[in-house]
Amino acid sequence: MLARRRNMLHLAAGAAAVVVAPRLAAADLDPAAQLIQRTAGQVIELIKTKTGAARESGILQVLEADFDLSYMGRSALGVHWNQATPEQRERFLKAAASAEAHAYAERFGQYGGQTLTLGRVTSRGGSSFVESKLNQSDGEPISITWEVRNEGQGPRIVDVKIEGVSMVMTRRSDFNSYIQNHGGKVESLIGELESRAKR
Amino acid sequence: MGEGSVKKLADIRRSAMAAVAATMLLAGCATRDTGAADVWDPLEGPNRFIFAINQTVDMIAIRPVSVLYREVVPKPAQRSVHNAVQNLGEPVTALNDAVQGDGNQAMTSMARFLVNTTLGVAGLFDVATSFGLKKSDNDAGQTIGYYAGVQPENGGFYLMLPLIGPSNARDAVGLVADSAVDPFGIAIYSLASSSAYWIYAGTRYGTTVIDTRVRTMTALDDLQRNSVDYYAALRSAYTQRRAEQIRQRRDRTSPQAELERRDNLALVR
Repeated sequence: MLARRRNMLHLAAGAAAVVVAPRLAAADLDPAAQLIQRTAGQVIELIKTKTGAARESGILQVLEADFDLSYMGRSALGVHWNQATPEQRERFLKAAASAEAHAYAERFGQYGGQTLTLGRVTSRGGSSFVESKLNQSDGEPISITWEVRNEGQGPRIVDVKIEGVSMVMTRRSDFNSYIQNHGGKVESLIGELESRAKR
Repeated sequence: MGEGSVKKLADIRRSAMAAVAATMLLAGCATRDTGAADVWDPLEGPNRFIFAINQTVDMIAIRPVSVLYREVVPKPAQRSVHNAVQNLGEPVTALNDAVQGDGNQAMTSMARFLVNTTLGVAGLFDVATSFGLKKSDNDAGQTIGYYAGVQPENGGFYLMLPLIGPSNARDAVGLVADSAVDPFGIAIYSLASSSAYWIYAGTRYGTTVIDTRVRTMTALDDLQRNSVDYYAALRSAYTQRRAEQIRQRRDRTSPQAELERRDNLALVR
Protein backbone atom coordinates (compact mmCIF):
# COMPACT_ATOMS: atom_id res chain seq x y z
CA MET A 1 0.00 0.00 0.00
CA LEU A 2 2.70 2.38 1.10
CA ALA A 3 4.95 1.32 -1.76
CA ARG A 4 2.15 1.82 -4.17
CA ARG A 5 1.51 5.29 -2.86
CA ARG A 6 5.19 6.10 -3.18
CA ASN A 7 5.11 4.82 -6.74
CA MET A 8 2.18 7.05 -7.43
CA LEU A 9 4.10 9.97 -6.01
CA HIS A 10 7.08 9.16 -8.19
CA LEU A 11 4.80 8.90 -11.16
CA ALA A 12 3.20 12.23 -10.35
CA ALA A 13 6.57 13.89 -9.81
CA GLY A 14 7.83 12.43 -13.07
CA ALA A 15 4.79 13.66 -14.94
CA ALA A 16 5.16 17.09 -13.44
CA ALA A 17 8.82 17.19 -14.42
CA VAL A 18 7.91 16.24 -17.97
CA VAL A 19 5.22 18.91 -18.10
CA VAL A 20 7.36 21.63 -16.56
CA ALA A 21 10.77 20.87 -18.06
CA PRO A 22 10.09 21.54 -21.76
CA ARG A 23 8.26 24.73 -20.87
CA LEU A 24 11.08 26.03 -18.72
CA ALA A 25 13.61 25.03 -21.37
CA ALA A 26 11.56 26.87 -23.99
CA ALA A 27 11.44 29.95 -21.78
CA ASP A 28 15.18 29.73 -21.23
CA LEU A 29 15.89 29.46 -24.92
CA ASP A 30 13.43 32.06 -26.12
CA PRO A 31 15.62 34.83 -27.54
CA ALA A 32 13.12 37.52 -26.52
CA ALA A 33 13.02 36.42 -22.88
CA GLN A 34 16.80 36.04 -22.90
CA LEU A 35 17.15 39.60 -24.16
CA ILE A 36 14.98 40.99 -21.34
CA GLN A 37 16.84 38.97 -18.74
CA ARG A 38 20.20 40.16 -20.06
CA THR A 39 19.11 43.80 -20.31
CA ALA A 40 17.64 43.81 -16.79
CA GLY A 41 20.78 42.17 -15.45
CA GLN A 42 23.06 44.70 -17.12
CA VAL A 43 21.01 47.67 -15.91
CA ILE A 44 20.89 46.39 -12.31
CA GLU A 45 24.63 45.75 -12.38
CA LEU A 46 25.26 49.29 -13.68
CA ILE A 47 23.12 50.87 -10.98
CA LYS A 48 24.81 48.85 -8.26
CA THR A 49 28.37 49.62 -9.34
CA LYS A 50 28.30 53.05 -11.01
CA THR A 51 26.95 56.51 -10.21
CA GLY A 52 26.45 59.84 -11.94
CA ALA A 53 27.71 60.32 -15.49
CA ALA A 54 29.31 56.85 -15.69
CA ARG A 55 25.95 55.27 -14.88
CA GLU A 56 24.07 57.36 -17.44
CA SER A 57 26.54 56.60 -20.23
CA GLY A 58 26.46 52.90 -19.31
CA ILE A 59 22.66 52.86 -19.49
CA LEU A 60 22.84 54.69 -22.82
CA GLN A 61 25.09 51.94 -24.20
CA VAL A 62 22.64 49.25 -23.04
CA LEU A 63 19.78 51.18 -24.64
CA GLU A 64 21.56 51.55 -27.96
CA ALA A 65 22.45 47.86 -27.99
CA ASP A 66 19.15 46.35 -26.81
CA PHE A 67 16.45 48.85 -27.84
CA ASP A 68 15.50 49.51 -31.46
CA LEU A 69 15.32 53.27 -30.94
CA SER A 70 14.78 54.08 -34.62
CA TYR A 71 11.87 51.62 -34.87
CA MET A 72 10.39 53.20 -31.73
CA GLY A 73 10.79 56.67 -33.20
CA ARG A 74 9.21 55.64 -36.47
CA SER A 75 6.15 54.11 -34.80
CA ALA A 76 5.84 57.10 -32.47
CA LEU A 77 5.67 59.50 -35.42
CA GLY A 78 2.92 57.36 -36.99
CA VAL A 79 1.26 58.83 -40.09
CA HIS A 80 3.51 61.89 -40.05
CA TRP A 81 6.48 59.70 -40.93
CA ASN A 82 5.27 59.51 -44.53
CA GLN A 83 5.06 63.30 -44.87
CA ALA A 84 8.55 63.89 -43.54
CA THR A 85 11.49 64.42 -45.93
CA PRO A 86 14.49 62.05 -45.62
CA GLU A 87 16.45 64.88 -44.00
CA GLN A 88 13.63 65.51 -41.47
CA ARG A 89 13.37 61.78 -40.74
CA GLU A 90 17.05 61.59 -39.93
CA ARG A 91 16.93 64.63 -37.66
CA PHE A 92 13.75 63.38 -36.00
CA LEU A 93 15.20 59.93 -35.28
CA LYS A 94 18.33 61.45 -33.80
CA ALA A 95 16.40 63.85 -31.53
CA ALA A 96 13.76 61.25 -30.56
CA ALA A 97 16.38 58.60 -29.75
CA SER A 98 18.25 61.01 -27.54
CA ALA A 99 15.03 62.03 -25.73
CA GLU A 100 14.03 58.39 -25.32
CA ALA A 101 17.47 57.39 -24.06
CA HIS A 102 17.43 60.19 -21.53
CA ALA A 103 13.94 59.20 -20.32
CA TYR A 104 14.90 55.54 -19.88
CA ALA A 105 18.15 56.42 -18.13
CA GLU A 106 16.09 58.46 -15.67
CA ARG A 107 13.53 55.66 -15.18
CA PHE A 108 16.19 53.01 -14.61
CA GLY A 109 17.99 55.39 -12.27
CA GLN A 110 15.05 55.21 -9.84
CA TYR A 111 15.72 51.52 -9.32
CA GLY A 112 15.64 50.63 -5.63
CA GLY A 113 16.29 46.92 -5.25
CA GLN A 114 13.19 45.59 -7.02
CA THR A 115 13.35 42.22 -8.75
CA LEU A 116 12.03 41.33 -12.19
CA THR A 117 10.25 38.01 -12.65
CA LEU A 118 9.74 36.92 -16.24
CA GLY A 119 6.45 35.32 -17.20
CA ARG A 120 4.77 34.11 -20.36
CA VAL A 121 6.11 34.87 -23.84
CA THR A 122 3.55 35.19 -26.64
CA SER A 123 3.99 36.01 -30.33
CA ARG A 124 1.70 38.20 -32.39
CA GLY A 125 2.23 40.01 -35.67
CA GLY A 126 5.98 39.41 -35.89
CA SER A 127 6.60 40.58 -32.31
CA SER A 128 7.27 38.63 -29.15
CA PHE A 129 5.65 39.90 -25.98
CA VAL A 130 7.51 39.05 -22.79
CA GLU A 131 5.37 39.47 -19.69
CA SER A 132 7.09 40.31 -16.44
CA LYS A 133 6.43 41.49 -12.91
CA LEU A 134 8.46 44.13 -11.15
CA ASN A 135 8.31 43.09 -7.49
CA GLN A 136 8.44 46.01 -5.10
CA SER A 137 9.44 45.88 -1.46
CA ASP A 138 6.25 47.74 -0.52
CA GLY A 139 3.08 47.47 -2.51
CA GLU A 140 1.71 45.41 -5.36
CA PRO A 141 4.02 44.16 -8.12
CA ILE A 142 3.92 46.23 -11.32
CA SER A 143 3.20 44.34 -14.54
CA ILE A 144 5.54 45.18 -17.41
CA THR A 145 5.23 43.73 -20.93
CA TRP A 146 8.24 44.00 -23.25
CA GLU A 147 7.67 43.93 -26.99
CA VAL A 148 10.62 42.43 -28.82
CA ARG A 149 11.12 42.47 -32.59
CA ASN A 150 13.82 41.29 -34.92
CA GLU A 151 14.27 43.80 -37.74
CA GLY A 152 17.39 42.12 -39.08
CA GLN A 153 19.84 43.11 -36.34
CA GLY A 154 18.82 40.42 -33.87
CA PRO A 155 16.03 40.78 -31.29
CA ARG A 156 15.58 44.31 -29.94
CA ILE A 157 13.09 45.88 -27.54
CA VAL A 158 10.62 48.10 -29.43
CA ASP A 159 8.06 48.95 -26.74
CA VAL A 160 7.53 48.74 -22.99
CA LYS A 161 4.01 48.47 -21.58
CA ILE A 162 3.65 49.37 -17.91
CA GLU A 163 0.31 48.28 -16.41
CA GLY A 164 -1.13 48.27 -19.91
CA VAL A 165 0.22 51.70 -20.87
CA SER A 166 2.42 51.51 -23.96
CA MET A 167 5.27 54.00 -23.99
CA VAL A 168 5.30 54.16 -27.80
CA MET A 169 1.52 54.60 -28.04
CA THR A 170 1.59 57.40 -25.47
CA ARG A 171 4.46 59.06 -27.31
CA ARG A 172 2.59 58.79 -30.62
CA SER A 173 -0.45 60.49 -29.12
CA ASP A 174 1.82 63.14 -27.61
CA PHE A 175 3.69 63.85 -30.89
CA ASN A 176 0.53 63.71 -32.99
CA SER A 177 -1.24 66.28 -30.84
CA TYR A 178 1.80 68.56 -30.76
CA ILE A 179 2.04 68.50 -34.57
CA GLN A 180 -1.70 69.16 -34.96
CA ASN A 181 -1.49 72.15 -32.63
CA HIS A 182 1.49 73.56 -34.54
CA GLY A 183 0.06 73.87 -38.03
CA GLY A 184 0.32 70.17 -38.86
CA LYS A 185 4.04 70.52 -39.56
CA VAL A 186 6.52 67.82 -38.51
CA GLU A 187 9.21 70.49 -38.54
CA SER A 188 7.81 72.13 -35.37
CA LEU A 189 8.06 68.85 -33.44
CA ILE A 190 11.60 68.18 -34.63
CA GLY A 191 12.60 71.69 -33.62
CA GLU A 192 11.09 71.21 -30.16
CA LEU A 193 12.81 67.84 -29.65
CA GLU A 194 16.14 69.25 -30.83
CA SER A 195 15.95 72.22 -28.50
CA ARG A 196 15.07 69.88 -25.61
CA ALA A 197 18.07 67.69 -26.40
CA LYS A 198 20.33 70.72 -26.05
CA ARG A 199 18.98 71.61 -22.62
CA MET B 1 -18.78 66.58 -70.42
CA GLY B 2 -22.38 66.59 -69.20
CA GLU B 3 -23.51 67.32 -65.70
CA GLY B 4 -24.27 63.64 -65.15
CA SER B 5 -20.75 62.46 -65.93
CA VAL B 6 -19.24 65.12 -63.62
CA LYS B 7 -21.47 63.83 -60.85
CA LYS B 8 -20.44 60.27 -61.64
CA LEU B 9 -16.80 61.29 -61.49
CA ALA B 10 -17.37 62.89 -58.10
CA ASP B 11 -19.11 59.71 -56.96
CA ILE B 12 -16.19 57.60 -58.09
CA ARG B 13 -13.78 59.92 -56.37
CA ARG B 14 -15.85 59.78 -53.19
CA SER B 15 -15.98 55.99 -53.13
CA ALA B 16 -12.27 55.83 -53.88
CA MET B 17 -11.63 58.08 -50.89
CA ALA B 18 -13.90 55.90 -48.75
CA ALA B 19 -11.89 52.86 -49.86
CA VAL B 20 -8.63 54.60 -48.98
CA ALA B 21 -10.05 55.60 -45.59
CA ALA B 22 -11.20 52.03 -44.95
CA THR B 23 -7.78 50.67 -45.93
CA MET B 24 -6.11 53.11 -43.60
CA LEU B 25 -8.43 52.02 -40.81
CA LEU B 26 -7.61 48.38 -41.49
CA ALA B 27 -3.93 49.16 -41.72
CA GLY B 28 -4.31 50.90 -38.38
CA CYS B 29 -5.75 47.71 -36.94
CA ALA B 30 -2.99 45.63 -38.47
CA THR B 31 -0.33 47.68 -36.67
CA ARG B 32 -2.37 46.97 -33.49
CA ASP B 33 -3.37 50.60 -33.24
CA THR B 34 -5.90 50.29 -30.46
CA GLY B 35 -7.14 53.83 -30.94
CA ALA B 36 -5.46 55.10 -27.80
CA ALA B 37 -3.29 57.37 -29.94
CA ASP B 38 -6.42 59.18 -31.09
CA VAL B 39 -8.84 59.40 -28.20
CA TRP B 40 -12.21 60.91 -29.13
CA ASP B 41 -12.05 64.35 -27.55
CA PRO B 42 -14.75 66.65 -28.99
CA LEU B 43 -14.54 68.88 -25.90
CA GLU B 44 -10.79 69.37 -26.22
CA GLY B 45 -10.99 73.17 -25.84
CA PRO B 46 -12.95 73.20 -22.56
CA ASN B 47 -11.05 70.11 -21.39
CA ARG B 48 -7.70 71.83 -21.87
CA PHE B 49 -9.06 74.86 -20.01
CA ILE B 50 -10.07 72.72 -17.00
CA PHE B 51 -6.76 70.86 -17.26
CA ALA B 52 -4.92 74.19 -16.96
CA ILE B 53 -6.91 75.04 -13.81
CA ASN B 54 -6.30 71.55 -12.38
CA GLN B 55 -2.59 71.94 -13.12
CA THR B 56 -2.50 75.27 -11.30
CA VAL B 57 -4.35 73.90 -8.25
CA ASP B 58 -1.99 70.93 -8.30
CA MET B 59 1.08 73.13 -8.51
CA ILE B 60 0.13 75.52 -5.72
CA ALA B 61 -1.69 73.15 -3.36
CA ILE B 62 -2.08 69.42 -4.04
CA ARG B 63 1.47 68.59 -5.08
CA PRO B 64 3.23 70.53 -2.27
CA VAL B 65 0.88 69.04 0.35
CA SER B 66 1.46 65.57 -1.09
CA VAL B 67 5.24 66.00 -1.04
CA LEU B 68 5.07 67.21 2.56
CA TYR B 69 2.81 64.29 3.48
CA ARG B 70 5.17 61.84 1.77
CA GLU B 71 8.25 63.22 3.53
CA VAL B 72 6.86 63.98 7.01
CA VAL B 73 4.25 61.33 7.80
CA PRO B 74 5.83 57.97 8.78
CA LYS B 75 5.54 55.28 6.10
CA PRO B 76 3.42 52.87 8.24
CA ALA B 77 0.93 55.69 8.90
CA GLN B 78 0.75 56.44 5.16
CA ARG B 79 0.08 52.77 4.49
CA SER B 80 -2.70 52.75 7.10
CA VAL B 81 -4.34 55.84 5.58
CA HIS B 82 -4.23 54.13 2.19
CA ASN B 83 -5.69 50.92 3.64
CA ALA B 84 -8.50 52.79 5.41
CA VAL B 85 -9.54 54.70 2.28
CA GLN B 86 -9.41 51.50 0.21
CA ASN B 87 -11.41 49.63 2.84
CA LEU B 88 -14.26 52.16 2.63
CA GLY B 89 -14.49 51.38 -1.09
CA GLU B 90 -14.63 47.60 -0.62
CA PRO B 91 -18.48 47.22 -0.43
CA VAL B 92 -18.93 49.14 -3.70
CA THR B 93 -16.14 47.05 -5.23
CA ALA B 94 -17.97 43.89 -4.14
CA LEU B 95 -21.16 45.19 -5.73
CA ASN B 96 -19.38 45.81 -9.03
CA ASP B 97 -17.75 42.37 -8.88
CA ALA B 98 -21.21 40.88 -8.41
CA VAL B 99 -22.84 42.90 -11.21
CA GLN B 100 -20.05 41.68 -13.52
CA GLY B 101 -21.03 38.11 -12.62
CA ASP B 102 -17.87 37.39 -10.61
CA GLY B 103 -19.53 35.94 -7.51
CA ASN B 104 -16.27 34.58 -6.19
CA GLN B 105 -14.51 37.94 -6.23
CA ALA B 106 -17.62 39.65 -4.82
CA MET B 107 -17.48 37.30 -1.81
CA THR B 108 -13.74 37.89 -1.51
CA SER B 109 -14.16 41.68 -1.57
CA MET B 110 -16.90 41.50 1.06
CA ALA B 111 -14.77 39.16 3.18
CA ARG B 112 -11.89 41.63 2.84
CA PHE B 113 -14.14 44.39 4.13
CA LEU B 114 -15.32 42.35 7.14
CA VAL B 115 -11.84 41.08 8.04
CA ASN B 116 -10.11 44.43 7.64
CA THR B 117 -12.84 46.38 9.46
CA THR B 118 -12.66 44.06 12.49
CA LEU B 119 -9.23 42.42 12.74
CA GLY B 120 -7.67 45.26 10.74
CA VAL B 121 -8.98 47.90 13.20
CA ALA B 122 -11.41 49.91 11.03
CA GLY B 123 -9.40 49.14 7.93
CA LEU B 124 -6.09 50.58 9.12
CA PHE B 125 -4.33 47.25 8.52
CA ASP B 126 -4.76 45.09 5.45
CA VAL B 127 -4.95 41.74 7.25
CA ALA B 128 -7.09 40.25 4.48
CA THR B 129 -4.27 40.23 1.92
CA SER B 130 -2.11 38.14 4.23
CA PHE B 131 -5.07 35.72 4.47
CA GLY B 132 -4.88 35.36 0.70
CA LEU B 133 -8.00 37.45 0.00
CA LYS B 134 -7.11 39.21 -3.23
CA LYS B 135 -8.00 42.86 -3.83
CA SER B 136 -10.18 43.59 -6.82
CA ASP B 137 -10.01 47.36 -7.54
CA ASN B 138 -13.33 47.31 -9.33
CA ASP B 139 -15.61 50.24 -10.11
CA ALA B 140 -18.75 51.10 -12.07
CA GLY B 141 -16.74 52.53 -14.99
CA GLN B 142 -15.28 49.06 -15.45
CA THR B 143 -18.74 47.50 -15.10
CA ILE B 144 -20.08 49.70 -17.93
CA GLY B 145 -16.97 48.90 -20.01
CA TYR B 146 -17.42 45.20 -19.27
CA TYR B 147 -20.92 45.14 -20.74
CA ALA B 148 -20.52 47.76 -23.47
CA GLY B 149 -19.97 45.89 -26.73
CA VAL B 150 -17.14 48.19 -27.86
CA GLN B 151 -13.35 48.21 -27.65
CA PRO B 152 -12.43 49.08 -24.07
CA GLU B 153 -10.38 52.01 -25.44
CA ASN B 154 -13.71 53.54 -26.43
CA GLY B 155 -15.15 55.10 -23.27
CA GLY B 156 -17.18 57.75 -25.06
CA PHE B 157 -15.89 61.30 -25.25
CA TYR B 158 -12.87 62.21 -23.15
CA LEU B 159 -13.59 64.43 -20.16
CA MET B 160 -11.29 66.42 -17.89
CA LEU B 161 -13.09 66.70 -14.56
CA PRO B 162 -12.38 69.67 -12.27
CA LEU B 163 -10.31 68.57 -9.22
CA ILE B 164 -10.62 64.89 -10.20
CA GLY B 165 -8.68 64.74 -13.44
CA PRO B 166 -8.82 62.58 -16.55
CA SER B 167 -12.05 60.72 -17.24
CA ASN B 168 -14.51 60.01 -20.02
CA ALA B 169 -18.25 59.63 -20.46
CA ARG B 170 -18.11 56.02 -19.28
CA ASP B 171 -15.98 56.59 -16.20
CA ALA B 172 -17.75 59.80 -15.16
CA VAL B 173 -21.10 57.99 -15.17
CA GLY B 174 -19.34 55.24 -13.21
CA LEU B 175 -18.11 57.72 -10.61
CA VAL B 176 -21.62 59.09 -10.07
CA ALA B 177 -23.06 55.56 -9.86
CA ASP B 178 -20.44 54.42 -7.37
CA SER B 179 -20.96 57.38 -5.06
CA ALA B 180 -24.75 56.99 -5.31
CA VAL B 181 -24.61 53.42 -3.97
CA ASP B 182 -21.91 54.09 -1.34
CA PRO B 183 -23.44 52.52 1.81
CA PHE B 184 -21.55 54.84 4.20
CA GLY B 185 -22.72 57.93 2.36
CA ILE B 186 -26.31 56.67 2.37
CA ALA B 187 -26.15 55.74 6.06
CA ILE B 188 -24.66 59.05 7.15
CA TYR B 189 -27.07 61.04 4.99
CA SER B 190 -30.15 59.25 6.33
CA LEU B 191 -29.09 58.77 9.97
CA ALA B 192 -27.31 62.07 10.58
CA SER B 193 -27.65 65.18 8.41
CA SER B 194 -26.69 66.41 4.99
CA SER B 195 -23.90 68.52 6.49
CA ALA B 196 -22.48 65.38 8.14
CA TYR B 197 -22.59 63.75 4.71
CA TRP B 198 -20.60 66.59 3.14
CA ILE B 199 -18.02 66.42 5.91
CA TYR B 200 -17.68 62.67 5.34
CA ALA B 201 -17.52 63.01 1.55
CA GLY B 202 -15.08 65.92 1.70
CA THR B 203 -12.72 64.18 4.12
CA ARG B 204 -12.77 60.97 2.14
CA TYR B 205 -12.22 62.82 -1.14
CA GLY B 206 -9.37 64.92 0.29
CA THR B 207 -7.60 61.90 1.76
CA THR B 208 -8.01 59.96 -1.48
CA VAL B 209 -6.58 62.86 -3.49
CA ILE B 210 -3.41 63.12 -1.36
CA ASP B 211 -2.95 59.34 -1.16
CA THR B 212 -3.42 58.95 -4.93
CA ARG B 213 -1.19 61.93 -5.72
CA VAL B 214 1.67 60.45 -3.66
CA ARG B 215 1.28 57.09 -5.38
CA THR B 216 1.16 58.52 -8.89
CA MET B 217 3.85 61.17 -8.41
CA THR B 218 6.74 59.29 -10.03
CA ALA B 219 4.68 58.20 -13.03
CA LEU B 220 3.08 61.62 -13.61
CA ASP B 221 6.36 63.49 -13.20
CA ASP B 222 7.92 61.13 -15.76
CA LEU B 223 5.02 61.65 -18.18
CA GLN B 224 5.12 65.42 -17.82
CA ARG B 225 8.90 65.72 -18.20
CA ASN B 226 9.13 63.42 -21.20
CA SER B 227 6.21 64.71 -23.26
CA VAL B 228 5.86 67.67 -25.62
CA ASP B 229 2.09 67.84 -25.04
CA TYR B 230 1.37 66.64 -21.49
CA TYR B 231 -2.41 66.92 -21.93
CA ALA B 232 -2.35 64.53 -24.92
CA ALA B 233 0.13 62.14 -23.28
CA LEU B 234 -2.00 61.92 -20.13
CA ARG B 235 -5.16 61.44 -22.23
CA SER B 236 -3.56 58.47 -23.99
CA ALA B 237 -2.06 56.93 -20.84
CA TYR B 238 -5.37 57.21 -18.96
CA THR B 239 -7.32 55.63 -21.82
CA GLN B 240 -4.84 52.75 -22.12
CA ARG B 241 -4.78 52.08 -18.39
CA ARG B 242 -8.58 51.93 -18.11
CA ALA B 243 -8.80 49.77 -21.23
CA GLU B 244 -6.31 47.34 -19.73
CA GLN B 245 -8.37 47.05 -16.52
CA ILE B 246 -11.57 46.40 -18.49
CA ARG B 247 -9.81 43.95 -20.80
CA GLN B 248 -8.68 41.97 -17.75
CA ARG B 249 -12.31 41.83 -16.53
CA ARG B 250 -13.43 40.57 -19.93
CA ASP B 251 -10.57 38.07 -20.24
CA ARG B 252 -11.72 36.47 -17.03
CA THR B 253 -14.73 35.08 -18.85
CA SER B 254 -13.15 34.37 -22.24
CA PRO B 255 -12.38 30.68 -22.81
CA GLN B 256 -8.93 31.33 -24.24
CA ALA B 257 -7.82 33.38 -21.24
CA GLU B 258 -9.17 30.59 -19.02
CA LEU B 259 -6.97 28.04 -20.83
CA GLU B 260 -3.94 30.29 -20.51
CA ARG B 261 -4.60 30.72 -16.81
CA ARG B 262 -4.74 26.95 -16.42
CA ASP B 263 -1.43 26.73 -18.24
CA ASN B 264 0.07 29.15 -15.76
CA LEU B 265 -1.39 27.21 -12.86
CA ALA B 266 0.14 24.02 -14.24
CA LEU B 267 3.47 25.82 -14.31
CA VAL B 268 3.16 26.90 -10.70
CA ARG B 269 2.17 23.43 -9.54
